[in-house]
Amino acid sequence: MATTDLTSVGEVRATSGDGAIPPTIDRTRNISGGMLMMIFFIGSEVMLFASFFAAYFFARYNIADNDWPPLNQAGEPFKLPVLLTGVNTAVLVASSFTLHWAEHRLKLGDRKGLQVGMIVTMLLGAAFLIVQLNEYWHLGFTPSDTAFGSTFYALTGLHGAHVAVGLLILLVMYIRITRANDFSAKFATPLAAGSLYWHFVDVVWVILFLLVYVL
Amino acid sequence: MATFAPTHQEPHHHHHEVDKRPLSYWWTRAFVGTIVGIAVGFFIPWFFRFVFGMEPLWVPELYYTVILSTATLGFLAGIGCFDYWMKYILGHRVSYEDHSMHGAYSWRDYFKVNTDHKVIGIQYMVTVFFFFIVGGVFAELVRAELSTPGQQLVDGEDYNGLFSSHATVMIFLFVIPAFAGLANYILPIMIGAKDMAFPRLNALSFWMLIPGGLLLAASPIVGSYSAGWTAYTPLAVQGSTGQTMFEVAVQIVGTSSIMAAINFMVTIFTMRAPGMTVWRMPLLVWANATTSALVIFGTPFIAGSQFMTLFDRIMNTQFFNPVGGGDVIMYQHVFWFYSHPAVYIMMLPGFGIISEILATFSRKPVFGYRALAFSTVAIAILGFGVWAHHMFVSGMASWLRIPMMLTTIVIAIPTGVKVFSWLGTIWDGKLHLKTPMLWALGFIFTFVIGGLSGVYLATVPIDIALTDTYFVVAHIHYVFFGGSVFTIFAGVYYWFPKMTGRMYNETWGQVHFWLTFVGMNVTFFPMHWLGFQGMPRRVADYDERFAAMNEFITMSTALMVVGTLIFFANMAYSWAKGPKAPWNPWRGRTLEWLVSSPPSTFNFEATPQVVGGPYQYGIEGARHAVVFAPEEIGGGELTETERRTILVVASETVSSSTLLDEIRRKSKEGPWRFTFAVPAKGRDHRSAERRLQVALAVLAEAGVDANGSVVDGGPIEAIEKVVEEEPVQEVMLATYPSGQSGWMENDMLDRARKATGLGITRVVVRRDDAVAPAPGSGVVALGVVANDALGTDGLGAAIRNRADQQPLGVTLICPLNLTGPGWTDDASKVRDEAVDRAQRTIGDLVDAGVPAQGEVIDGDEAAAARVAVTAYGAERVILFTLRGEGGEATVEAVRAAIAPVEVEHVVVDAAAPAGS
Repeated sequence: MATTDLTSVGEVRATSGDGAIPPTIDRTRNISGGMLMMIFFIGSEVMLFASFFAAYFFARYNIADNDWPPLNQAGEPFKLPVLLTGVNTAVLVASSFTLHWAEHRLKLGDRKGLQVGMIVTMLLGAAFLIVQLNEYWHLGFTPSDTAFGSTFYALTGLHGAHVAVGLLILLVMYIRITRANDFSAKFATPLAAGSLYWHFVDVVWVILFLLVYVL
Repeated sequence: MATFAPTHQEPHHHHHEVDKRPLSYWWTRAFVGTIVGIAVGFFIPWFFRFVFGMEPLWVPELYYTVILSTATLGFLAGIGCFDYWMKYILGHRVSYEDHSMHGAYSWRDYFKVNTDHKVIGIQYMVTVFFFFIVGGVFAELVRAELSTPGQQLVDGEDYNGLFSSHATVMIFLFVIPAFAGLANYILPIMIGAKDMAFPRLNALSFWMLIPGGLLLAASPIVGSYSAGWTAYTPLAVQGSTGQTMFEVAVQIVGTSSIMAAINFMVTIFTMRAPGMTVWRMPLLVWANATTSALVIFGTPFIAGSQFMTLFDRIMNTQFFNPVGGGDVIMYQHVFWFYSHPAVYIMMLPGFGIISEILATFSRKPVFGYRALAFSTVAIAILGFGVWAHHMFVSGMASWLRIPMMLTTIVIAIPTGVKVFSWLGTIWDGKLHLKTPMLWALGFIFTFVIGGLSGVYLATVPIDIALTDTYFVVAHIHYVFFGGSVFTIFAGVYYWFPKMTGRMYNETWGQVHFWLTFVGMNVTFFPMHWLGFQGMPRRVADYDERFAAMNEFITMSTALMVVGTLIFFANMAYSWAKGPKAPWNPWRGRTLEWLVSSPPSTFNFEATPQVVGGPYQYGIEGARHAVVFAPEEIGGGELTETERRTILVVASETVSSSTLLDEIRRKSKEGPWRFTFAVPAKGRDHRSAERRLQVALAVLAEAGVDANGSVVDGGPIEAIEKVVEEEPVQEVMLATYPSGQSGWMENDMLDRARKATGLGITRVVVRRDDAVAPAPGSGVVALGVVANDALGTDGLGAAIRNRADQQPLGVTLICPLNLTGPGWTDDASKVRDEAVDRAQRTIGDLVDAGVPAQGEVIDGDEAAAARVAVTAYGAERVILFTLRGEGGEATVEAVRAAIAPVEVEHVVVDAAAPAGS
């Protein structure tokens, strides 16, 4: 195995032999390029959600407060299952903690614990998605039922797509851990970036739940 | 505990592993990928609609949306954008430092996925200029329709499609990616990095532009989107299939833009060379960091607005349908929340380019460096708070008007800080009016006009009167054409030598500028009046009273068309055949000028060290960076400011081999650089220019850092002009031997010593040496075969033209073509006449600044050509014949005699009889 030295927090590169050095990031900085990329990407994602929240609040602003949620075609107000979704929210929030636990196990050198933690996280994430899809099935209104339906489905659908992407990222990380024996206590930038994304998806859901379901 | 693979860094070799798979492999894959993508895109909606029993199965716009998206993904996968990541995802062993797709070794490497930021930069630039032509054709069609009142070429619907396509192509496929392309090439070198932070992501950003761009440009075929580039609802919801292509393409191009911006951000944050603090970053880097932030945080809003429009179109959602509680005005809010910052996305990088160019060509430090940097950031932040000034008449909440008016007017303050800083930079500078500088100065002129009309439009009452009139069209073209496009041209000319390794043609560059500058102003300025008189924009027809001015405007665009054609011709020719560019033709201080033109595969042999600010022109001892030279040329450190300058003063002797040999010898002694000052008066100017080009080409080829200019006036004026501008340590004066030299008779040595107070080295050049073609590479050895054509105006003009394009050394061979015996009186008369003609021609060429030599030989043209090639090493031969003498057989004979040397045949008119 190549000798290693610490060139930046969270990332280690093997020292090379002689000769010119091919491009490397993290020359003297204390954040790795991969994490920085994920932070900017999340910034971009925040704005994408913001544009849909803007649409939601325009639709909501156009209606007097006590008329919200508006009436559907049958003349009844739209109803959202706050309790069930609240439980589902807890499931998603729990998955953030299990993922953090998994990363912590890696820092202690416990690769088995890392794998278990990631599997639990993915199961919780998948459970959340399935409950959401089940909710869609039983809501009784569609995206074309007034702007309320459109913005509701757009926001929750956009978030659902992000959960799906987050699951894919976790799956890829899991493949890297098991098949390529990737990541260590000192080098885990892709894993850390992926888990940051997962936490972001969680936080967005909590905000979405509060604004759209509770308020 | 095991750690391996990804942290491992391959030992670096100069000849890194290069992927060998041919172009046909990649493009076959791309074709197959696209087809598979189309099939998958057809299957997905069909499958879901079938399984869930939705009626009808066929909903065209839904299918088109999915098909266009999956076809794009298929193309990208096929061309190879995802190869590395697929290996990573599947758990294979990969190396982060995989450079197998890095660098261009032949033209083929530009037509496949490449991870070298320099290759990607050139891919971007060529692509965006293709789309510039497309957008320009749309513009000319718009003007053709508007040339007279009534319906000319197209009906109203198609007209709407034309101006929508024009704007969309110019904004999304020219201006925004052109800045990304220029920065891609220059920015990593400027900050001392070997590449971008994420080279594979960089390649993906570029390749997404291809399908996205083609969708936008091709949409007129299926019924163009005609809701304007702003795609306002409900027009956009009702539009034809072209509108679907627009929505999808904007998502693709926007994604590409966001990925490129993230890449720039991380590159700038993490990959600056040691010593490059934020206050030592060139202003282009500041501008790109700020722009990238705008793209990252702004572009998702246009994505959101287009998603909602798409959903309304294909899923029957109610975002913009008032009946269902939707809000049409909401579209405009969300759209402009991106698209006003987008105005600065299209402007800030241009500001950066202008700051670079003004400092370099004024030979002064940038005035107010920090003010320029801060004002860039201020514009970006304020830019997010002004969006509703586009909507004063839209019916939005009226209380928003005044705050939006105020924030908009406040943006004029940081913009004004910029303009005054630029004026402060050129104030009292030594302006060098080269093409990039002309564009920069022209930019300040036109951009200020556009900026002022912008403040005008920002005030609510004026906007209510002028909105949707031609005043707005005039305003936007003054800021986008007179602003963004001018800066792109400025940047292209400025970095052309660095990017291609060759010099563009200065004369044609300036012609391009003046045609465009004048054409732009006479086209767009009258539109202010049209707007005041109430001519509405975006309408195919108009009132009779606007006819004269519209006809004038349409005709005026011809100037810009001609200018653009000249630009393309200049770029194409210079890229292929222009003279070799030196490392630093403009004497820039930033890092890209401290490496070769074009830079090596990984830019720097060793990481450079930054030690000072980037624009400290004229400050004794100031230096920006230290770059370490490759081992082949000594391995020592190279710094721009540590080099010592020798001023070379020479007139007719400037291209002589004696002088050039002396300079080559001297350059080996230390880090010397040579500044030529060639004095010339009046008509001699062009000749001096040609001689100087020969000298600079030879020295550039020999790796000598040389530069110079022709100065109007005598030698002392020339010396004084250079000494004023830059510190000179020695002077080298080349003259003819005493007795033959006019300069020596006038005590030039003493006068030069008094003028400079420096040591003078005199180089004595024999007269025959001064006129002979300089040996060595860098100059094309041109054989000229002519007999009767000698002495004609056409011959001289043809050779001078070629010398303007490329430094030449001419060898003139005159075949006598004697048929009878050679010793008769007739024969010797013919010979004498020929020798006389040849001598006069050579004399004329030398006077015109083209080094020339020659001889008269017995024999025919083929023999003469053979002599030119074998005895004088001609690399190209031109055969001149008189008109009406039918030289075809001769041409064939010459071609056969010296194949494979290229033979050009030029027919000239006979000389006018003497005395006429």
